[in-house]
Amino acid sequence: MVSLPERIILFMLVAAGPFLLIVVPIGAFLAMSFFRMENQQIVHDLSLANYAAFFSSWTYVKTLLLTLWLCAEVTLIGLLIGYPIAYFIWRRSGRIRTILLLLFVLPLFMSYIVKIFTMRSILGLNGFLNQILVAVGILSEPSQVFLYNQNAILFTMAVIFLPFVILPIYLSLERIPRSLVQASADLGADIGTTFWHVILPLSAPGTIAGALFAFVLALGDFITPQMVGGANGFTFGRVIWSQFGLAYNWPFGAALGTVLLAVALLAIVLGGLAAQRQKV
Amino acid sequence: MGLSLDAVSKSYGAQQVLAPTTLQVADGEFMTILGPSGSGKTTILRLVGGFTRPTSGRIGFGDADITGMPAHQRPFNTVFQDYALFPHMTVAANIGYGLMVRRQTKPAIAAKVGQTAEIVGLGGLLDRFPSQLSGGQKQRVALARAIVCEPKLILLDEPLAALDAELRRQMQFFLKSLQRQIATTFLFVTHDQEEAITMSDRIVVMSAGRIEQVGTPKDIYYAPRTQFVAGFFGDNNLIPGHVTGNGMVTTALGTMPIPAETDRRERDVMLAIRPEKVLLGAAGSGSHQVSCRIDDVTFIGAITQLRLRPAAAPDQVLTVKLTSDRTRLGLESGTVVSASLAPGDIALVEVS
Repeated sequence: MVSLPERIILFMLVAAGPFLLIVVPIGAFLAMSFFRMENQQIVHDLSLANYAAFFSSWTYVKTLLLTLWLCAEVTLIGLLIGYPIAYFIWRRSGRIRTILLLLFVLPLFMSYIVKIFTMRSILGLNGFLNQILVAVGILSEPSQVFLYNQNAILFTMAVIFLPFVILPIYLSLERIPRSLVQASADLGADIGTTFWHVILPLSAPGTIAGALFAFVLALGDFITPQMVGGANGFTFGRVIWSQFGLAYNWPFGAALGTVLLAVALLAIVLGGLAAQRQKV
Repeated sequence: MGLSLDAVSKSYGAQQVLAPTTLQVADGEFMTILGPSGSGKTTILRLVGGFTRPTSGRIGFGDADITGMPAHQRPFNTVFQDYALFPHMTVAANIGYGLMVRRQTKPAIAAKVGQTAEIVGLGGLLDRFPSQLSGGQKQRVALARAIVCEPKLILLDEPLAALDAELRRQMQFFLKSLQRQIATTFLFVTHDQEEAITMSDRIVVMSAGRIEQVGTPKDIYYAPRTQFVAGFFGDNNLIPGHVTGNGMVTTALGTMPIPAETDRRERDVMLAIRPEKVLLGAAGSGSHQVSCRIDDVTFIGAITQLRLRPAAAPDQVLTVKLTSDRTRLGLESGTVVSASLAPGDIALVEVS
């Protein structure tokens, strides 16, 4: 048996890692948000001025709301494309299933930057999409509408985060015993009824997890908007980034970051509650 | 009428899991498919349930050919081995699922669910979730869910396998009485011989993808036709023999008449006689007497088991089971006794 003092020491040793790597940086970040800038110097006076500045500026709040809307769209598109793919993979069997799953999850192993550049080369003026549309005759000349706007951000994020949506949905489908699907058919349900009453509810936890992944990843992403959004694609992530870079106002950036963190946590808590309601 | 399988077979690639099989199940019958794992018994159930398609042959029900009919259109319901209860639904929703799918009204479903829950002894548990139930209770939910739609045929895939011995015995009686009460055909799959014998009207014994024998429990027990069947149900004495043309069979224990109404062709056979059918001492007329020495005596409670060695064939062992008797004397190893085999108790088993 390990004695109580020894246990306490052991616990502290184990807890030290997460504490140093997670709690301390976030704490420092949080502390930073209460400071202020004066003459390019960070002044360590505690105040809520940064938060007041954020909430009193419609421009910032509006950017946050538009970003939330964008993330919701990314999530929705991710689910609409991801769920059918996960379902399709799940219905296959044997080798085909493994290969399909691997194909759809493989992008996770690729560099994020490479994927964004790939999307750029697809959507750009001389890109794949334009070449095809011109070749087919739908467009008479390459169009610029596919890149450097809000829709380009939406589309790129939806594609890049797709594996994060597919994987948890597939895993929750995988956990459904085939006998439940057979039992449903046995009791007279066609595949649509079975899907609605058995498969969809039982895969809800994975679906919620996939949605959360897409939403939270999109929320914090500032590189995609920068690379494919151009001047028109301004998201909250870019605003925060510019506070740390261009504007050199770390305390204000930290406050905006804290707001973003709060929103992400709220989303996770809501998703967790929704998943818990499913008695599985 | 009833269910008919006509030369139905199933292969996966080159591997045949069910040889062409023909079988009739009458309406209202309790039919058990019995066999070890890999014998093809579950394949038959899955074919009948519509969960897999036969490679060849025809499955009929009543006048209809249902070979290609999808599972959800067949008028059958299944009790799955792992129960397959919907974990996100209450007991009531599980039982009422088939009715809900058939778009019955909520009050009608509630009434029928309540009634069925009473039949299987689940009243008061309707609001629970499957995870809150014991194995026996889950079993009853699975049963209730299968009978609530009043199917023409109920398929049961080793439903008692996961229960402990006492509960299993209770459920055996319950299933049998339920089957009489609702007067529905039961197609019951098991690997448990005792279960098959106690519950069934008829038993299909299967081995290695083909039917060995179909018959009533007594037929199967006392008149096995193949070596597999003779050896599958409890202890049996198997004695090699040769049928001679004149209706006699010669064995190492002597020559005796073959049982009435059996094939008289000359061939090698096995004689099978149950240990409890070998009598000791004075025998009735017509019985074949064999002089034996007692090898050992084992007291097993209600019965006492003896191993005998016939004087004429010391390599052959005869097992005898007697009702135990505290005062019985003279049955000790080394004693010489006379064992008698009545022709009516001997089964001729074909050697393949």
